[in-house]
Amino acid sequence: MSAIRLCGVGKTYAQYARPSDRLLEVIIGRKRHREFVALQPLDLTLNRGEVLGLVGMNGAGKSTLLKLIAGTILPSSGQVEKHGRISALLELGAGFHPEMTGRENVYLSGAVQGLTTEQIDGLYAGIVEFSGLADFMAQPVKTYSSGMFVRLAFAVATCVQPDILIVDEALSVGDGAFALKSFKRIMDFKDAGSTILFCSHSLYQVEAICSRAIWVHRGGIVLDGASSAVTAAYGQYLESGLLPGETPPLAAQAPAVVAMDSQPAESIAIHAPQGQARIAAIEVRGGGRVDKELELESGKDDLTVWVQFASDPALPDPSLAVTLVRADSSIVASASSHNDGFSVGRAVDGRGEVELTFDKLPLLKGDYWVTVFLGCERAMHVYDHAEMVARVRVIQQGLAQGVVALPHTWQTVSDRSAGG
Amino acid sequence: MPIVRRLASLGRNFIDGVATPFRLMWEQRGLLRLLIRREMVGRTSGTSLGSAWMLVQPALQMLGMWFFLVIVLQVRSPGRVPFVNYFLVGMVAWTMLSEILQRNLTVLVEFGTLYQRTIFPLPLLPLLPLLVSGAIYGTVLVVVAGVMEGPVAAAGAALGILLLLIWLVPISYGLAVLGLFVKEARQVVPFALTMLMYVTPILYMPEQLPSALRTWSALNPLADIVALLHAIVQGEPWSLGNLVRPLIIWLVLTPAAWMLFKRTEPHMREAL
Repeated sequence: MSAIRLCGVGKTYAQYARPSDRLLEVIIGRKRHREFVALQPLDLTLNRGEVLGLVGMNGAGKSTLLKLIAGTILPSSGQVEKHGRISALLELGAGFHPEMTGRENVYLSGAVQGLTTEQIDGLYAGIVEFSGLADFMAQPVKTYSSGMFVRLAFAVATCVQPDILIVDEALSVGDGAFALKSFKRIMDFKDAGSTILFCSHSLYQVEAICSRAIWVHRGGIVLDGASSAVTAAYGQYLESGLLPGETPPLAAQAPAVVAMDSQPAESIAIHAPQGQARIAAIEVRGGGRVDKELELESGKDDLTVWVQFASDPALPDPSLAVTLVRADSSIVASASSHNDGFSVGRAVDGRGEVELTFDKLPLLKGDYWVTVFLGCERAMHVYDHAEMVARVRVIQQGLAQGVVALPHTWQTVSDRSAGG
Repeated sequence: MPIVRRLASLGRNFIDGVATPFRLMWEQRGLLRLLIRREMVGRTSGTSLGSAWMLVQPALQMLGMWFFLVIVLQVRSPGRVPFVNYFLVGMVAWTMLSEILQRNLTVLVEFGTLYQRTIFPLPLLPLLPLLVSGAIYGTVLVVVAGVMEGPVAAAGAALGILLLLIWLVPISYGLAVLGLFVKEARQVVPFALTMLMYVTPILYMPEQLPSALRTWSALNPLADIVALLHAIVQGEPWSLGNLVRPLIIWLVLTPAAWMLFKRTEPHMREAL
């Protein structure tokens, strides 16, 4: 059963020289505008309980598509079918009256969502508790920071489980602890069968949360499929500028150069604030040395990454991930404690140390950088990360080409034919 | 057949134009209550008298005008109703009408953040100035009429204000659209209202107009409205024309304004 069905839905914005031209056009019925195609006619069906991620560059048409589904703008062509109650977080502060207090805005947003005063009365305490803004509910929201805005907006929009939830980048504004709480709520809705549309520039979040993703490019859908495949293709596009099916010109294949000086040093935070976790220290070892620049022999030396972190003891055990990236930011290899089913232990004060070893590093000659991520227990939300903390120069004997030496065997085919 | 279809469409728009505001007021009563309360609080927040200012402020305005007209200019009534009584009833109603119409020019811009990125019942917004100003000035007029003429006049004032508010509904929708799409309207309408006030018997009584101008006042529907209000509250003479002319205007404007609002509604978010 479909929750959302778009048939030939497109959006063309009209640009008028003067606002009055728009009114004249409506009254007279004669065209007085120039057109800008924001979304080409497209078909899209989303089944109940499906979680769809949207990726794409700024201005690609993602927000327009979400607004069409939410119903805040009307399509220029085609039909939008929706089944169920929709909650949408389309823009920071949207739907709030700046002069009204937080409390009044809760009732205002609730009323706009179709809730009665009595229903909002019953939900109010939960909304305040979730937003963590109990001390600020009597203040006008014009005095709120952007983070406070998004806390309250998200808490109200999700106070009742919607049939369809639309989240457009809004969560990127909130702090880490609140983002984690929000993701948990989204996952709860997902588990309970809500249909979710999630737009984010964080490809990792899209892949972690969504089962399916679409890549919107210049007002059209260029790829629709499993979120892992779509985010991988889009990630490739961000690196190479190539759309699916395109091949690179030879001159464009040279890697970009990243200066070591611009990379952040490891963090030295000792305690993590409430609801958060921080990387405290990182050491990268190999070839008998601990340094930010190592030289290792391919297939012989081990590479070890030691990470010390601090986390709020009230949080579940975090997860860690290490990636090896090349100068052009392409990921060559990664290891994640969550993916490997490894439980990261901690002391009672929330501090912990973890060591990861890549045995007999099978990378081939070249420069690689180590990046470390500290995430939540489901490896969905990133609390902290340290990019390119060490450079590993791999040297090799022999002429093998590529980035990795895959385990392999050779055999002479004639021996097998002779035996048969 | 096209004429029949057009008439049917006009009829539908007339019914929608009359029924939808009432339906919306009922369906969105929770939202409306919040918005009205915020309007009331916003007008007087931070003042020592608080919400009392909503009644004190128009009362002071009337007092100032009365001082100027009756004490300084010594305007006297040629009829049975004392000039000050006549002036107060007309002036309170006019202030309400003027405030509603001017506020409706900006109401769709002012509440843009509420509806630009959300699903919001837009036809509710032009009703907000009607209800807020109607509540404030309606109360003032009922008190003024009650004190001056007694309880029957107070009841008449309440009825008169209610009818005036209903008459203003299509004009409010029209001006809300005009204010959003034609910015010049925000400059022209206040001036036009000031001029209309001068040609409407508010600061003077109809009998004080030169006879040549009395014929022209038949072209001013607001003169009819004021005449009817004085008739309801103070028993002043009125004619059938005073009733028919505003009624025809209302019957014509209701489907036209509603059609204009509904046609432009899909463009409102993009026009902001």
